[in-house]
Amino acid sequence: MNILVDHLVKHYRVHSRSPGAMAALRSLFVRRYDTVRAVDDIAFSIAGGERVGFLGPNGAGKTTTLKVLAGLLKPTSGVVRVGDFIPNERRRAFLRSVMLVTGQKHQLLWDLPPADTFELNRAIYDVPRIDFVPRMKELVELLEIGDVIKKPTRQLSLGERMKCELAAALVHQPTLLFLDEPTIGLDVTMQALVRKFIRTYSQRHGATVLLTSHDMDDVSAICDRVIIINHGKLSYDGSITELVTRTRPEKRVTFTLSESVSAEAVQRLGRVISASDRVLTLQVDQARLKATIENALQTLPVSDLTVENAPLEEVLADVFAQARAKRGAA
Amino acid sequence: MRYARLIATQARVSFLLLLQYRADFVISLFLAAFWTLSAIVPLLVLYSDRDSVGGWSWGEALVVVGWFNVLKGVQSIVIQPSMNQAVEQIHKGTLDFVLLKPADAQILVSAQRFDFRQLSDVVIGCVILGYALATLGVVPSLGAVAQTVVAFASAVALLYSIWVMVMSLAFVFVKVDNLTFLFQSLFDAARWPGSIYRGAFAFVFTFVLPLTLMTTTPALALLGRLAARELLLAVAGAALFILVSRWVWTRSVARYTSAGG
Repeated sequence: MNILVDHLVKHYRVHSRSPGAMAALRSLFVRRYDTVRAVDDIAFSIAGGERVGFLGPNGAGKTTTLKVLAGLLKPTSGVVRVGDFIPNERRRAFLRSVMLVTGQKHQLLWDLPPADTFELNRAIYDVPRIDFVPRMKELVELLEIGDVIKKPTRQLSLGERMKCELAAALVHQPTLLFLDEPTIGLDVTMQALVRKFIRTYSQRHGATVLLTSHDMDDVSAICDRVIIINHGKLSYDGSITELVTRTRPEKRVTFTLSESVSAEAVQRLGRVISASDRVLTLQVDQARLKATIENALQTLPVSDLTVENAPLEEVLADVFAQARAKRGAA
Repeated sequence: MRYARLIATQARVSFLLLLQYRADFVISLFLAAFWTLSAIVPLLVLYSDRDSVGGWSWGEALVVVGWFNVLKGVQSIVIQPSMNQAVEQIHKGTLDFVLLKPADAQILVSAQRFDFRQLSDVVIGCVILGYALATLGVVPSLGAVAQTVVAFASAVALLYSIWVMVMSLAFVFVKVDNLTFLFQSLFDAARWPGSIYRGAFAFVFTFVLPLTLMTTTPALALLGRLAARELLLAVAGAALFILVSRWVWTRSVARYTSAGG
């Protein structure tokens, strides 16, 4: 499904008060309201089958944008279209093609095995059993939850539960997936499995994926495109590679040395990011990359070398710092 | 039809839930019996030195108590568990999942949980009704039974609507535990025939929170003393409450989705 967002604005009115008992007492009678501009005039469009990551610091407006697209929040103003639908109208046909999984809230029935939630969702979405059985078999295999779905949910580990949440949300085979920090709190192997699953599902069913996350690895493993939202404004929309090369045009060159060398010999080469006994990492401008490497190969006892982009975490930190500086200057 | 199947599935889930905790089930059966019988004690005290209270004899008052028990049972099996669950969902924000389902959210929310342990209230209520009719020597006519069914259905509809409205307040106040507790305490007023209340109480319990009507109307119907006009009023009142509660719910959801967080 194509997604079109134009001039989207979402404001909240929140009740604010100073800390302390007196202030709390006063607020019972006189309430002060502040308007929070959670999303402040953003625009983008997403083609069917795309996987897009929403990045931004806490409170940037990522989740709000996701909820508006899912039809859970009504925009203050602006245009939001998902396929032929206006999400907030919550038409049956629209709801049948979307799903939402969040890392923080669960829909699984707490005291019953996940299989019972699957069955309940089958009834709610009216999925014929002839489709349901093979579909669940596929999900169970991909997510490796065969021996988990018969145990009560409350006895499952966080990772097992998350995988079952995904399965429960895919009973009706949606084509638009809203994932709000789906890997939060999971260990590394679980994260990897969940990421791979989401990618596979999306490719197999042509499903559009919209993901919010703090975890850069999530985004780079699942998505081809990122949208960065900061203080309700859109500050970047494009491919991950372009984001990296634009924000951090420098490369990281790591040399493994066969013997330790003097500090001066190292510093002549360029900016040193880290230097331990035999491993040396430099930050080098794209233009000077070739010269620097040649220089190093001649002057240092290099046994191995790798060239990488700056880590996504740092790129993002830079993007946010730049945005902060811009706001400070304005 | 689809909703009937949906509700049946949800009821099945609740039944499975019940079986997960078998000991709890047995204990709750004993508790329900104890509370029901203890609820008759005030009535015994009241009627120990008089034959009639507010125009209701001992046997007739027992009919009201019987209906009160049945209604209370229905409330705690069908209505209250779902409503409590809904309040929690609003509080925790998991109502999002319900609102994203392609089915009527009010039906999904209202039929999400059943507590079959409370069936004992209904059974004991029916026993009291049988005993009361035997004491009075009344055999209800077919017409009276039909009237009773309609009157009782209206009572359930009224009670459900009030619960929906109380639950909807959670959208505004988030925590409504005290409110549901207050309502449950007030609900006890339905134990007594409507005509024993005077003045302001009579007005409130008839028109504002029609608690006494809920039990008195089916009781009168069963005794064959309900005028057709009164039955029509009960049905109309129930329909009105259903409509109003539907409106309150719809408004509350709209408010939730335009505020949210």
